[in-house]
Amino acid sequence: MGSDIVEIGINGIKLVLIFLMMVQAVPILVWVERRGSAFIQNRLGPNRVGPLGLLQLLADAVKFLTKEEFVPAKGVPFLYYMAPIFALVPGAVAFSAIPMATPLLIDRFELFGQMWGPYTILFQGYEIGVGVVFVLGISSLATYSILMAGWGSGNKYSLLGALRASAQIISYELALGLSIVGVLLLNGSFNFGEIIAAQQGPLAFTFIGHTVTVPFLPNWGVFYQPIGALLFLTACFAESNRLPFDLAEGEAELVAGFHVEYGGFKMLLFFIGEYGHMIVGSSMFIALFLGGYHFPFPGITPEVLRYYATELGYGPQGVSIFTALILFLSFFVKLALLLWFFIWVRWTLPRFRYDQLMDLGWKTMLPWALANTIITAIVIQISKI
Amino acid sequence: MTTDAFLFWFLALVTFISALGVVVFANPIFSALSLVMTMVTVAALFATLNAFFLAGVQLIVYAGAVMVLFVMVLMLFDLHKEKKAFTQGAFSGSVKLLLGGLLAGLIVGAVSMSKELYKAISDQAVTNSATGIESTKALGQLLFTQYIFSFEVLGILLLVIAIGVVALARSKGGTHVK
Repeated sequence: MGSDIVEIGINGIKLVLIFLMMVQAVPILVWVERRGSAFIQNRLGPNRVGPLGLLQLLADAVKFLTKEEFVPAKGVPFLYYMAPIFALVPGAVAFSAIPMATPLLIDRFELFGQMWGPYTILFQGYEIGVGVVFVLGISSLATYSILMAGWGSGNKYSLLGALRASAQIISYELALGLSIVGVLLLNGSFNFGEIIAAQQGPLAFTFIGHTVTVPFLPNWGVFYQPIGALLFLTACFAESNRLPFDLAEGEAELVAGFHVEYGGFKMLLFFIGEYGHMIVGSSMFIALFLGGYHFPFPGITPEVLRYYATELGYGPQGVSIFTALILFLSFFVKLALLLWFFIWVRWTLPRFRYDQLMDLGWKTMLPWALANTIITAIVIQISKI
Repeated sequence: MTTDAFLFWFLALVTFISALGVVVFANPIFSALSLVMTMVTVAALFATLNAFFLAGVQLIVYAGAVMVLFVMVLMLFDLHKEKKAFTQGAFSGSVKLLLGGLLAGLIVGAVSMSKELYKAISDQAVTNSATGIESTKALGQLLFTQYIFSFEVLGILLLVIAIGVVALARSKGGTHVK
């Protein structure tokens, strides 16, 4: 956590801030989703409350908080209350492990008559050596929230929705895990920091003794692993239970799926969990395939930014903060575009049938991911000759 | 008390309580969920030992996949009769006591016998990087060099089981019956 009380305090505040970032993104995302879906379908969407309808979600939250509190008669209260709270945990914990910019260097400073520092503050919740494995492991726990909600509600529709959701999540977890093996092989690392650092600068690689450089393209994983990137993105849609994979909700046959018995703020917590999964999936996609916080223009590397900041007359502390903030902006724009992509797909593609969903997961994506892994390994060995 | 010691005792306590819950709960769903809790806390214990890769794999494989299937299948059954048969009566009670005693004996025996071994190991200096990358690499190299035979045999065993399950499911009915 840290060497002294100030560093521990900063790290603790950082964890809270990242959790709040995830939770606070949800109202904006819901607004974007409702307005965006309306524009895609030639409607207007919520535009009455506040400017552009931005305060609609605040009104909704107040409404959710004042709803009647109840437990279904045949439900299990412990699981019923546990499920929506647990829905927030995996997303928040996994999101904290993903680096969003370069570390901040804090100079020595005086506080309460004592000198503190210098500190190096990472722009992420915490650093774990095998971050990719850790994030996959934590996100795989999200199924339990759905299972607990489905069974604890004591409702057949909830149970069927929960079973569908968990079967789907387990099936696509395989393709998700295999699709990133290619990236891990290329970088020889499980660490987000190392994978992101390898993606800076122009596209350049060595193949059988020849060095190939493409000066106008960034050195991103998506150019090395296009199939892996496509499979990973598809599996992310399935993991977060969103259209075209939202069989778990299936309004036509299951009413609303696992959260049919939930009302008020408890349902909103499930919403936050779902958007949290979108955010974790998108940031993982950015870190592995879209160069993390690096700019899409290969000329602008963190070193160039540091040089400009020094030219502007900042000290080492100012330079690190300036660089980190600009790189965080780059990460943030990428995240926003990907989240918009999630919303866009939801309102464009129709829902799969359940057997089509399972066939896609087991008979198409899994073999492609396996083939991608083997071919990547062979190509890496050949290129070393 | 240091942070490490506090973490260990806290996690050990939670592991113990949830493991006790697995056998004590009458409702099989709660037993399975306690087992999930046990898996997660064991993963956390691995993480405190700097074995981050093992912790992640424990979470992905046991907590994230195997136990989800257990819980899913248990939710589909109506287990009222079985619950009564297994929670009441002198016969099932005596069997439980017998098995519990056996398990306790095994654990005590294992701990007392491995004391010497533990002392021998703890004398060697344990070099481990804090990030867990080096230990992951070492684990992979050991698996694919020294233990390659047992590793591949395990893989073939799992493949045989998977094929056998598919064959049984196809011949005994179900949605994909021939």
